[in-house]
Formats: sequence, structure tokens, C-alpha cells
Amino acid sequence: MRQRISPVDVVVGTTWRVVRAAARTAHTAGSVLEPVTQVLLHPPIVPMQLQPAGWLAAVARDGADQRASLREELARRLDVLVPVVLAEVLQRAHLTDLVLEYVDLDRVVGAVDLDAAAARLDVESVVGRVDLDAVARRIDVDAVAARIDLDKVVRRVDVDAIVDRVDAEAVVGKVDLDSIVSRVDLDAAARRLDIDSVLDRLDLTSVVLERVDLEVLVQAVLDRIDLIKLAEEVIDGVDLPEIIRESTGSMASDTVRGVRMQGIVADEAVGRAVDRLLLRRGRRATQAPADNQDDRPAESTFPTQRDRRG
Amino acid sequence: MTESGVSPLPREARPYQGQRAGLVTRGVAAAIDGLVVGLALLIGYAAWAVLLFLVDPLNFSFPDVSLIFSMAAAFLVLVVYLTLAWWLSGRSYGCLVMGLRVVNYRGARLGLVSALARAVFCAIVPIGLVWVAVSRGNRSLQDMVLRTSVIYDWQPQGASKSAPPGA
Repeated sequence: MRQRISPVDVVVGTTWRVVRAAARTAHTAGSVLEPVTQVLLHPPIVPMQLQPAGWLAAVARDGADQRASLREELARRLDVLVPVVLAEVLQRAHLTDLVLEYVDLDRVVGAVDLDAAAARLDVESVVGRVDLDAVARRIDVDAVAARIDLDKVVRRVDVDAIVDRVDAEAVVGKVDLDSIVSRVDLDAAARRLDIDSVLDRLDLTSVVLERVDLEVLVQAVLDRIDLIKLAEEVIDGVDLPEIIRESTGSMASDTVRGVRMQGIVADEAVGRAVDRLLLRRGRRATQAPADNQDDRPAESTFPTQRDRRG
Repeated sequence: MTESGVSPLPREARPYQGQRAGLVTRGVAAAIDGLVVGLALLIGYAAWAVLLFLVDPLNFSFPDVSLIFSMAAAFLVLVVYLTLAWWLSGRSYGCLVMGLRVVNYRGARLGLVSALARAVFCAIVPIGLVWVAVSRGNRSLQDMVLRTSVIYDWQPQGASKSAPPGA
């Protein structure tokens, strides 16, 4: 494969070889000619003032002076020129991108002594120059609050110390309690109340005895109650007829009652036996028609226990 | 007490009130009624003897009563006794002892005609009572024919009720 030859590279390579050869030649010549040069600059016979070395030294001093003045002149020019050029350059170059791309910021920051820098900061003056209102307007409080671990913060708060420092009386004096209470959902609060525990702490008996007009209360209760019906239920519950019979009953009535009950039991036994003989199923339909007039059978005039409860 | 709804009846007997009675109870009541009739006949016979004695003490001898006459008298006494009892109170003495009452198809007390018819029927065919054991409704032969019922009714006040309207 044929290599492509660049003219520029050829020129550069040739120049480099010539310069190097010249430098070697000069170095070699200098080494060889140094004794001769010394003799030429300091001829043995020529007085010191007339020696060529003296003349060369004077020329060198002038050259040094010229060089110094030139450097100062150049510095003045650069002071004028550099800012202009740099401004133009920076306008065209994206300095931030360049810094982010080429500068190791972590390393830079690691090299900075932040503590020393912070110690030198006048925080009071800094804060005094900050427009906190404007800053606060630009803060997304919701987003900030969402990122705060409130539990952790609250755990670190010494609530007792804070409470000790609060002038509760002054705070309460400033609060419009009426407007606050009007905004409270009392129903919801009441639903969350543990009524039992509240009642346990109350002496309800004494409260009722002191505050309640018992006569009015009892009268109202009595007005609502059907005392006759209640008395009937009580008498029915204690089976008063049975008690009366037991307290005043004679041997004869007990005997009659026993005979009648045994008769009923025997009736049922005979009925069941006959039904079994006749291969009947189910109970007998022994309910007699009821008389709705005064002239009656027992069913309508003497309701049974079950009837009255039903 | 009755009007207030409190029952004086024993608790265990209340469920049976108004139900048709069975053979045993009714049989016992019928036997008691038979004893009552027999006692009445004896008293009548004694009264007749005393009357004869008072009329002619010298020739007195116990009256000789034929079987036919005795049976006729017994039949008559039985029919009258049962008719009056069922018509006036709904129960004879046997029914009173055993806590029974005779009612018609409406549950009311029998009228005079019904009571008389039932009394005659019972006196002629007393064996009809046995059908109570066979009947699914605890009805005797007389009950089925005359559409009557004999129910448990232990309420004693029932006996003092006024007579039914229009026999």
C-alpha cells in the first residue's frame, strides 16, 4: 500500500533536520572554538578597557535594558488587549460546558478547605442582604414538606423544653376561640369519644340526684306506662292464681284439679293408642269452634298463656 | 279477673282449654251423671214410699216397681236432667266435676231443642260415646249428628252465666 506524502510534513521534517544539524554544528564549533573565543575576547596584550569582551558586555547591558522596557510595554499592551480578546472568546465559547467537560470538579471541591471558608463568612451581613420574602415566594413548600421525614424530626424535638418556654396565657389571649370552635366538626369529635370511660369518671348518681327533678321525671314515666297492662304481665309472670290456690286452696280443689289433669292425660293416651292401632299419622284436630259472642267457649274468653304472649 | 286478661286457671291446663275432650274424661263425667240419676231415682223412690207410709201407715209396704217403669223413669229423669243442665249452664254435674262444657257448632251454649235432642239421643244410644276414641276430632256419635262438641272448660264462672237467648 502506497503511503501518502504530505508536503507540510516534508517541509517540517527538512527544517527540523537542518536546525538540528546546525545546532550540533554550533555546539561542536562552540566546544572547539571556546579557547579561541576566549583568546579573541581577552587578548593577552590588549589593555582591559580595549578588550572586545568589555565592548560586548556594554552591548549586552543595553540589550537587557531594551528587553526590560519591551517587556513592560508588552505588558501594558496585553493589559488592554487580553480582556477584550478574552471577552470575545468567552462570548463564543460555552465556558460552563467546557468546565463540566474538562474540569474534575470533585477533585477541585475536595481541595477546598470549606471550614476555613465558612469561618471567614460574615453570615449576618449575608442574611441581611437576602430578600427572604422573594425567596419564600419561589419555594415549593409542598414539595419540600413531602421530602421531610417529620417523624424523625419530631423525635428529636424536646417538647417539654419548648412548652416550658411558651407563655400559654398570652397565646390563649391572642386566639379567637369562638371562630375556631365554630369551625370544629363536633360530631366527628364526639364519635371518637370513649363515652364509657367518661361515664366511669362521673358520679352520675349524685349528678342525677342534684340536677334532676325526680318527681317530674317519674310522672312523665308513669304517663307513658300502661300500668294496668304492666300489672297484668307481672301477675301473669308470677302466676298469682297459683299462689292464691296454694295459700287458700282446699284439699278438694286440689283433688279435682288432679283428677281433671289425669283425665286429660288419659284422654291423650287413649287417643294416641287408638291412632296407632288405626295406623294414623299426625295429631288429632281437637280444636272446637270458638264463640265470639259473650256466650262463649273458653278459648275466646280465657286466653291461654301462649295466646297472650303471642 | 276474667275481663282483665289474667287467667285463674292452672298454667298446665291452659293449653287444653277449648279443645274437645277425650273418651276418659267424658266417660268419667257420664258415670258421675249416671250416679246422679241413680241417686235421684232412689230419692224419688224413697219419697214415694214415705208418701205411701204417711197416707196409709197400717197397710204400708214398699211399692213394687216394674222394670219397664224403672227404666222409663230413669230415661225420663236422665233426659230432663241433661236437657236442663246443658240448656241452662252448658254442663251437667259430671261435666262440672271434670271441667267439661257442651257447645254447639258455633261454640255457643246449646238451645233448649238442641239440648233436648242431644239428651234423648244420649239416653237412647249411650254407647255412641265410645266413638270419641275413634274420631279424629274427639266427637261422639251424638256430636257428629247434632254438630255439638264437648270441650275442656275449667273456668268455674261459666256455670253462673245467664241463660241463652231464645231456646
